[in-house]
Amino acid sequence: MTASFFIRRIAYGLLLMLGVVILNFLLIRLAPGDPAVVIAGEMGGIDAQMLAAIRADYGLDKPLPTQLWIYLSNVVQGNLGESFFFNQPVATLISARIGPTILLVLTAQVLSIVIGMFLGVIAARKPNGPLSGFVSVFATIGYAVPVFWTGIMLVILFASVFPIFPVEGMRSVRLRDAGPIAQFFDVAHHLVLPAFTLAIIYLAQYARLSRASMMDVLGSDYIRTARAKGATEQSVLFKHALRNAALPILTVAGLQFGNLISGALLVETVFNWPGMGRLAFDSILRRNYPTVLGVLFFAAAMVVAANILTDLSYRWADPRLRGRE
Amino acid sequence: MSALLEIEDLNVTFNTRYGAVTALDSVSLHVNAGETLGVVGESGCGKSITALSVMGLIPSPPGRIAGGSIRLNGEELTTASPARMRAIRGAEAAMIFQEPMTSLNPVFTVGAQIAEAIMLHQKVGADQAMRAAVALLDRVGIPSPDARARDYPHQLSGGMRQRVMIAMAVSCRPKMLIADEPTTALDVTVQAQIFDLLNEIQRDFGAAIVLITHDMGAIAEMADRVAVMYAGRVIEGATADDVLDHPQHPYARGLIDCIPNIAKGDAALREIPGVVPPLHLLGAGCAFAARCAHANNRCHTEKPKLAAHGHHPAACHAVQEGRI
Repeated sequence: MTASFFIRRIAYGLLLMLGVVILNFLLIRLAPGDPAVVIAGEMGGIDAQMLAAIRADYGLDKPLPTQLWIYLSNVVQGNLGESFFFNQPVATLISARIGPTILLVLTAQVLSIVIGMFLGVIAARKPNGPLSGFVSVFATIGYAVPVFWTGIMLVILFASVFPIFPVEGMRSVRLRDAGPIAQFFDVAHHLVLPAFTLAIIYLAQYARLSRASMMDVLGSDYIRTARAKGATEQSVLFKHALRNAALPILTVAGLQFGNLISGALLVETVFNWPGMGRLAFDSILRRNYPTVLGVLFFAAAMVVAANILTDLSYRWADPRLRGRE
Repeated sequence: MSALLEIEDLNVTFNTRYGAVTALDSVSLHVNAGETLGVVGESGCGKSITALSVMGLIPSPPGRIAGGSIRLNGEELTTASPARMRAIRGAEAAMIFQEPMTSLNPVFTVGAQIAEAIMLHQKVGADQAMRAAVALLDRVGIPSPDARARDYPHQLSGGMRQRVMIAMAVSCRPKMLIADEPTTALDVTVQAQIFDLLNEIQRDFGAAIVLITHDMGAIAEMADRVAVMYAGRVIEGATADDVLDHPQHPYARGLIDCIPNIAKGDAALREIPGVVPPLHLLGAGCAFAARCAHANNRCHTEKPKLAAHGHHPAACHAVQEGRI
């Protein structure tokens, strides 16, 4: 039953990906700017004949539906095209950069969920206590402040005032020949600031959400039942209540995954993180369509995968949803 | 021999936006080992608050035990430590709630929820606790208990869930079982089954039961003794037969009159006019005075005490003065 559900969800996901690819392709052609002109500009001046040659070279002179068909059949075969600028396959460019992006996004996601829920639970225990007030204020500020500003402030703080975390890149040059354990801690050390910068908005949101959700759950009859059988306060909070209160957070966390990826692109730019963000940013400026489309393709794939995982974890967490569509 | 449960002059107050209101006003009750005490009264009269006080489950804040004492087996509960109360809850005193539909945790199997209650109070492993849970499900009349133990609450009917609640409550053989309107949410045939089950459980396990209800039929079937509550006070207390056959307090008479009697050919259902006054508006006099046909000046200015008079104790000036 769960297997057929899983297969069906993957089929829907693939269908969704197809829609995303087509929509991206069409949207990007609607945007002003001509890639042939940009390529010509890179080559340093040009005449109309060469421009036509470039168009023919890249297939830009063919009708749009034909271009779409060629692109789609290439994508299905795993070929995302060539970057005009790097003269490399887009797939190669992205595969070199997607690892750091996934690392950053997943770390931020885990940080925001774990810390956010913990703060929310603690705050819900005493809704009028000082910690609860702190969570509300922190959540409002965290939610209101744009991620690039947080990033820049953290860079200033940890570059000049307390230089304890690296503010740039993912690895230390001098550790490039060190053993895997030293490398692991080096990456983790570099990860602290970007991951927190990215996590802070979502952390704030999850703290608020879990506070509200926990307060709701703590008033329910089954919590009273748990207390009536002599369960400890810790068990009431973290076993009986949290499992129920986590359901809305799972939903929101799944929905927010897409925003987390777009946030990651900004954070990567601020912290010079070697991920897809910088590539996307530069490619957009250069009208490098195949690369932009490739980045969007992978971002969409990550969102679709995250949504499938959310669905599965939701069914794991709430037995009432099992055996239903 | 002293009683199993003794509640003496219990006062419970709640902080509300109207200020502190008295939810329980000098409530005194006792329950002997193995007997069933029925506590009756309308919604909001303090029945459930009395039960929650015994369990140490008054939501605090806003609630607070402001005075009096609750002794279980001679042990004072109002001053017991939270850890001691946790040890008592579920093991020595257990409670069955009104809403079987929402009283079980939706994300754990019913077997696991019963097994948890066992493991909280007995030094047994998870496997052994689960076997005990299955045996309990069998004991409370759930068919194929092995399979049902692996079910989640939403897969069971209301009556089944209440049986699960009863299995959980008796899992550690408590001497004191508090059933707070255990059948209100169930349909009538299931109600009768649940009462039968409670009777059996009491016989087999020797537990005393406090049955909180507003159903006089349930009292007639289950209770040895009855306490009638109104607006946070006990207004009449005696054996079930005495209260049912010779109600003293005008409110108790009203409750008994409200039992539909087909033999008498009642055309319409009777009711007591008016409603229980909001607790923050209680005056100096008898809380029932505004709804009472026998009220005089004294009733509006002076609270009657629960005193033996005539047939059995009732807190009513009119009864004590011999006016009714």
